[in-house]
Amino acid sequence: MAHLGPGKAASSKEQTGLRYPSNGKTIYHRPLNRTKTAELSQSSFAYLFSEMVTYAQRRVTGIQELEKRLNVQGHPIGLKLLDLLLMREPPRTQTRPLTIIALLHFIKINLWTHLFGRQADRLEKSSNPDTPDEYMIVDNEPVVNAYISVPREMSQLNCAAFVAGIIEGVCDGAMFPARVTAHSVGGKEEGEMWPGKTVFLVKFQPEILEREALLGKP
Amino acid sequence: MSYYFAIIGTQDNPLFEYEFGTSKQGGDGQSRFTEQAHHLNQFVLHSSLDIVEEVQWMNGQLYMKVIDKFFTNYISCFMTGGNVKFLLLHQPPQTEEAIKNFFNEVYENYVKAIMSPFYKVNMEVRSPVFRQRVAAAGRKYL
Amino acid sequence: MASSKASRLGEETRMDKVNAELVVLTYGAMVAQLCKDFDSDYVKVNQQLDKMGYNIGLRLIEDYLAKSNTFKRCSNFRETAEMIAKVGFKIFLNITPTITNWTSDGKQFSLVFDENPFADFVELPDDGRAQDELWYSNILCGVLRGALEMVQMQVEAKFVSDVLRGNDTTEMRISLIRYIDDELPPEDD
Repeated sequence: MAHLGPGKAASSKEQTGLRYPSNGKTIYHRPLNRTKTAELSQSSFAYLFSEMVTYAQRRVTGIQELEKRLNVQGHPIGLKLLDLLLMREPPRTQTRPLTIIALLHFIKINLWTHLFGRQADRLEKSSNPDTPDEYMIVDNEPVVNAYISVPREMSQLNCAAFVAGIIEGVCDGAMFPARVTAHSVGGKEEGEMWPGKTVFLVKFQPEILEREALLGKP
Repeated sequence: MSYYFAIIGTQDNPLFEYEFGTSKQGGDGQSRFTEQAHHLNQFVLHSSLDIVEEVQWMNGQLYMKVIDKFFTNYISCFMTGGNVKFLLLHQPPQTEEAIKNFFNEVYENYVKAIMSPFYKVNMEVRSPVFRQRVAAAGRKYL
Repeated sequence: MASSKASRLGEETRMDKVNAELVVLTYGAMVAQLCKDFDSDYVKVNQQLDKMGYNIGLRLIEDYLAKSNTFKRCSNFRETAEMIAKVGFKIFLNITPTITNWTSDGKQFSLVFDENPFADFVELPDDGRAQDELWYSNILCGVLRGALEMVQMQVEAKFVSDVLRGNDTTEMRISLIRYIDDELPPEDD
């Protein structure tokens, strides 16, 4: 365990070199609790996101590496949203998730509603007795896929890897370290209702299940 | 009365610390800790982290109230969603409500600090505006 | 087109919406990634952001024309400025920057951003350089450059101040270099 020694501590005398506008236009001067969440056109997101994917594509070889990179870019967003969303909760429901189920509900309801304006479609626990550490969050039509056109040669790419990274960030931040991957499961045939359907597979680290067992929580 | 406030990262690493005095009952807001007390405070605060670890999975409330005592020193704790601890060393009598309000105001500013795309987990919070905001919260509630 | 008409066009344009914070956080993650990829060479980051914006601009103009229902070509650069500020920015970022500081020849103006959603949560890195070198929202310059090129205008767009750098305003300077169809060879009779 590190010590809060005088040398190591963030000294109050330490000065930063950052300049601030005299009119005080910094993040600290704006309220975070916005009553109405501002909206932007979906196409702004689509343009930005496709450009991000195109750029990332040039720096990797193969789809897997690209998905990994998108995951990594989503991760810090999850870490930040965990606290942003908790901070905005009313006092009564402002609690840290203590169980896997509470955490997954937070993701399915709070995170999804915030980002996409609706809850995720389903939450499932793996029915395979060999993988009790696996959970699935199902989205029938992820925004990141609905408006992003993926180049033909990358048809296997699921841009929801970015969202998987956000989920992973939330899990890691809340001390439920997990690996989250996005998988396309939509049918390819004509007339399929949800061609973009995606399963986010959340695989928790073994110690998380041990901890739950120890705490006697279901 | 003087206060010692610290933000501790997920690796038990200090991210921010601030000493101040009460602004209530004519207090001037200046810390009256001696150099010796300053070191002891850091030690006391740090020792309480073990207790935080014991209780953090019992209750999901962010504000955990007083979690530890060391002679006349009390340690109150607030835990963020990302498992970063806000610790305040104080002496009684302090209303839980005042400390809660202080923590909540610091929390809002902390979230602003970590929202920046350039803020990485467990980085020191060095913004002078953040420090001013913590000082203001201290003046307002403590 | 009268400026009040331009404002109304921006207001009335309806389309699917997403949470602004999703866009803002995605942009932030991207800029942070670029800073990492280019090893905090902010000049290169600015260039890359401009380039990405340019690519977006090339594609976005179609969308803009469809959503704004403007089939008529702007008759002069002043009208172009109005449409950028009151329709383009309104449609895509839900803000209306102020047009100001025209040069007397009517070929240069500034957009001053009272709000800039991209910068909402941002504090630049405290490394002694970012505030002098990085133009955090530089993608917007590229977008304008690309979009206007598609309607036969070659412009230069660059930020000249940014509240993130400690300036009191965020200002982008746009200069008309030329109308591209001016350059078409004269027809032989």
